[in-house]
Amino acid sequence: MSLVTKSAKPIGHKRSLSDEMFITMLVASVAVGIFLLASVLVPNFFQWQNLINLVTNNWAVISLGIGVTFLLVSGNFDLSVGGIVALSGVLSVWFVQSTGGVNALSTGLGMPYWLGVICALGGALAIGGLNALFVVRFRIPSIIVTLGTMMVARGIAQVITQGSQRNTNLPDEFGFLGNLTMFGTSIRFPVVLMAFMLIVAVIIERKMVFGRITYWIGANPIAATLSGIDKAKHVTYLYLFSSGIAGVVGILLSSEFKSGYSNRGMLMEFDALVIALLGGVAIAGGFGSVVGMFFGAIILAVVTSATTGLTLSPDWQFILKAVAVFLAIMTQTWALARRNR
Amino acid sequence: MAQFLRNYYIYLVLLVIIVILSLTNLDRFDLFARGNFLYDRNIINILRVSAPLLTLAGAFTLLMVSGYIDLSVGSTMGLSAVIYAMLAINGVPFLAAFGLTMVCGALLGAFNGLLVVKLKITPVIATLITLSLFKGIALLLVQDGVSAIKSIGDIKMPTWFNSYGREGVLMGLPMAFWVAVAVTIILVVAQNRTLLGKYAAATGGNPIAAKLSGIQTGRVVFVLYIIVGVTAALAGIARSSFMSLGDPLSGDGMELNAILIVLIGGTAFSGGEGRVFRSFIGALIIMVLTVGMLTLVPAYFQTLVIGAALLAAAASNHLISRKAAE
Repeated sequence: MSLVTKSAKPIGHKRSLSDEMFITMLVASVAVGIFLLASVLVPNFFQWQNLINLVTNNWAVISLGIGVTFLLVSGNFDLSVGGIVALSGVLSVWFVQSTGGVNALSTGLGMPYWLGVICALGGALAIGGLNALFVVRFRIPSIIVTLGTMMVARGIAQVITQGSQRNTNLPDEFGFLGNLTMFGTSIRFPVVLMAFMLIVAVIIERKMVFGRITYWIGANPIAATLSGIDKAKHVTYLYLFSSGIAGVVGILLSSEFKSGYSNRGMLMEFDALVIALLGGVAIAGGFGSVVGMFFGAIILAVVTSATTGLTLSPDWQFILKAVAVFLAIMTQTWALARRNR
Repeated sequence: MAQFLRNYYIYLVLLVIIVILSLTNLDRFDLFARGNFLYDRNIINILRVSAPLLTLAGAFTLLMVSGYIDLSVGSTMGLSAVIYAMLAINGVPFLAAFGLTMVCGALLGAFNGLLVVKLKITPVIATLITLSLFKGIALLLVQDGVSAIKSIGDIKMPTWFNSYGREGVLMGLPMAFWVAVAVTIILVVAQNRTLLGKYAAATGGNPIAAKLSGIQTGRVVFVLYIIVGVTAALAGIARSSFMSLGDPLSGDGMELNAILIVLIGGTAFSGGEGRVFRSFIGALIIMVLTVGMLTLVPAYFQTLVIGAALLAAAASNHLISRKAAE
């Protein structure tokens, strides 16, 4: 934790950094610090390949984190993403499976792959639309709505797969996208897509009106409305955006495993929320950044993989995760309070 | 009419579900006969299975009324189940094990209260932290390679272990159910007749005004977290006794169920409003729905139906309260 205080100190009264950049830097240095700490404690941890694995093994949850972060910044939760991952994955399999299989689970709708993917994405967007309808039009707290739609999305996936999975009768090209390696390395397409989405998200967040409006809405919804921002439309877009990403993640995951599994993405919504919070996103809205979320994910990944590296029982990761979140939250509160004293 | 609906719709919903479930199989079974929903053993069974949720409903409602939330109830339940089973299997007598587990529940609740009240961490985050923490501790208490504390070889669970959750003591219903009823009665009285209930509502309705009028809101919330911890421990004991094992994951998903029943009972998510007894009815609705549905559709429909029920409850809650406000 000594690293934290060092990076917090030299800023002084000049205020060259915004609070947000300050927290992002703080989270980044905690991530680096915790990585170095793990390197000292865990044998063979300090390796280039391990560093890459920390990112590539978590592409799904980092991608989901983008949409979740934007929504949190606007003051809304999205807990439905894990359910959407299951739904879109199962839908894509069901749509593409050829007709006339031996039983119900091996019989699909026989669509061509591209059409099946588009329709599955449509299913994901429908859940996002449902979120927006309940949150924006009925004004029901988003945490409840998205808990409900999470269960509805996963529930539909479970009904389609009869509580298990569909993995037969699929054309060969179904497994292509999820396993495609790029640039002659072992880095797969989903990881590249995640990196691309991260960059786009940072540009939107920092440089574009859409991103800045998201902050205004989260920081002061009433002032935002009074200054002529169409809050309803904006939040609707954000929900569609988040569910679209979740849909893509679900489709890619089911392509990777060539199966549509109704329990896939279980608890991913909580992990996406946790990495956003670790990354300094304020739960009340108006504060946070996608870059912070990314480093939050790295913190969580280091903790998880260090548990395995230390050959601790996997049960320890629940406790370490709790301690990591606790320390991150406390450090952020403390550092902000100290800075604004 | 709107007023009447607002006050009694939850009883109507329960009634309608029971009527539907008891009529659907009439072509095959007689009313009240084995196989029909209203068969007495079936009702006893549903109430027995519901005991954990019914125990938790009241305290969770009071906490939500005060504007706070506890997402760790499932983990508290799992950890209590493990502790209770460990005590029992190591020869601690029933009452001592029962009391010690309740104390543990109170401590876990106090820990939540500490994070929220003293360290001022947002309730959702604080209890997400303890959700993970308590679950980790519960999993660590169970030795490697075994999924739960249970009778293995010579080490046997005492014979009294599952009578608390299963053996009928009054009207064929076990102790666990009557404890749930007692807890609910106590909390109904606490809500209507004591300062705790009034302070909880004041804290949830307008925390600043409550503070300015001299209510120590921090202390109220702290006490409520402890009560939730104790009832979660009772729920864990009930579940553990019913299943005859101490399963660290036995409370998984309980926080969702608790939120669901509290919403169905008409508690406002933002705090300030809500009634303990209505959540009790809400818990009955959910249990009747989940258990009763198994006779009609395959089990994999459950998540979908519960999710749809949650959305419907939230929407109707909202529509009814808006109607009343107009």
